[in-house]
Amino acid sequence: MTVIDAFLNLIPVTFAQSLMYSFVVMGIMIPFRLLSFPDLTSEGAFPLGGCVCAALILAGWNPFAATVVAFGAGVLAGMATALIHLQFRLNSLLAGILVFTALYSVNMRVMGRSNVALFSADSIFLQISPAILGSVALQIAVFAVLVVAMLLALRWFLATEAGAALRVVGINPDLAPSLGINLWVWTLVGLGLANGLSAFGGALVVQLQGFADIGMGMGLLINGLASLVIGETVVGRQTITRQLLAPVVGAAIYYQFVSLGLALGLQPSDLKLVTAVFVLLTLGLPALRRGGSSGREKLHA
Amino acid sequence: MAAEVSAGTAKGGDTPLLALRGLRKTFGGGLPGARPALDGVDLSLAPGDFAVIIGSNGAGKSTLLNSIAGTFALDAGTIALSGRDITRLAGHRRAGMITRVFQDPMIGTAAAMTIEENLALAERRGQPRRLRLALDRRRRDSYRDRLRPLALGLEDRLTTPVALLSGGQRQALSLIMAVMSRPALLLLDEHTAALDPRTAEIVMEATLRVVAEQGLTALMVTHNMRQAIETGNRLVMMDAGRIRLDIAGPEKSALTAADLVEKFRIDNDRMLLGS
Repeated sequence: MTVIDAFLNLIPVTFAQSLMYSFVVMGIMIPFRLLSFPDLTSEGAFPLGGCVCAALILAGWNPFAATVVAFGAGVLAGMATALIHLQFRLNSLLAGILVFTALYSVNMRVMGRSNVALFSADSIFLQISPAILGSVALQIAVFAVLVVAMLLALRWFLATEAGAALRVVGINPDLAPSLGINLWVWTLVGLGLANGLSAFGGALVVQLQGFADIGMGMGLLINGLASLVIGETVVGRQTITRQLLAPVVGAAIYYQFVSLGLALGLQPSDLKLVTAVFVLLTLGLPALRRGGSSGREKLHA
Repeated sequence: MAAEVSAGTAKGGDTPLLALRGLRKTFGGGLPGARPALDGVDLSLAPGDFAVIIGSNGAGKSTLLNSIAGTFALDAGTIALSGRDITRLAGHRRAGMITRVFQDPMIGTAAAMTIEENLALAERRGQPRRLRLALDRRRRDSYRDRLRPLALGLEDRLTTPVALLSGGQRQALSLIMAVMSRPALLLLDEHTAALDPRTAEIVMEATLRVVAEQGLTALMVTHNMRQAIETGNRLVMMDAGRIRLDIAGPEKSALTAADLVEKFRIDNDRMLLGS
């Protein structure tokens, strides 16, 4: 019973945490699903956002300004990946790996050391209300407002002429130029926006937990993919609204699973293996059911 | 290649709508034995011309259309549209002036988007994509008006994803999308070839109607000899990357399939079957 109690007690904390991570999962969803561009940059953009935010706050910046700059840093990281892919025609996965590898050094330079504490420093949460740090209910309320604002903004954006242009780049890149749509511009916009969100998530996490660590992005991508897959299984992806809800719902469920696993005695270090196997199974099973010709099926997808 | 062969109906003194001069393109990066896809193509279209291009597989017809649309850079030659040199203009920047209906119904539309979203994308062709909602009631009404003449019932299915449409319906939609922004030049790349005969006829009828209504200048590639003889006011035949024949006016109207076969010894099975 104590195991279950431990898990149940943690549900609200885990939920608050998952709301923050849903920004990152959104940052993973946008390239993968809307742009058909498998992008790994978030693995570096998330810690970049955290490190930039932490460094600026320690330098005396206003936390809101620091968070905005962190978002901007993520935008630049995403655009770097897009440019490497477009200009040098490097595979998109390799472009992402290059950028997040380089960002490790950048993050180290930004912070000056591998981790910094922000316990006594200002944060957007302190600015809003000091009570937030002590109340999980308030944290959930604040994050929920942020997440809903993001969902509404993205839903609106994707219904605009600009959003439609971005989507068609992912859906039919052969058609886009003949519609007068510049593949470069919208790939840059999409990856920039996505990694801005990942970095924004990093900035929030750092300010809530009170420290930034150079290794905070490790394995994040696979967590995000697992969340995305769960979310899409639960809410589907038939419409844009569902596709946007999937990362948020998926993150909420995934982090509860992780919490349950830990409560049941799973070692944190084993978690990555479990998650990797889970992602493999969920992504791989449909291909097996189709009869193993997934490589060719993809061409028609 | 003699320029006078391709003078066509472009009247002396008038600026041709489309002027191609000495287009050359070889694929394969100049490897030994690589045959040029375009080997010095000159062609002028006067405003309102409807030119049909025929030729066997590998004659360079699609390469010609792709080079006009700006899909790739030419090795040599110039392309001018209404007197403006567009040779170095990127494809997406030509899209407002030159539109295209592809042979493959899958390419001409965005499958995962709805009919109305596809039309909204096409309506803004050649204009900046703004941060304004792509659809509203006025637009939806205008889309219904545009789709109704097709008589395919698409006007009642604006929110249907294009993936659920048949090839013919997608091709008809692609045609409407191509003429929505009143292009200076419409390129038709065997756009009925992948369709069954009845659907092909519907799409072809719709093509002729919108071209006539809007007074468009069009360049159509076809393998169908009957289509080539019955359609348009110009007939251009290509072979091995060159234009071998360019006839217009009364000579074109008097042309029969037998003439084509006899005079120009067309020995292409697909073309004969198509007649």
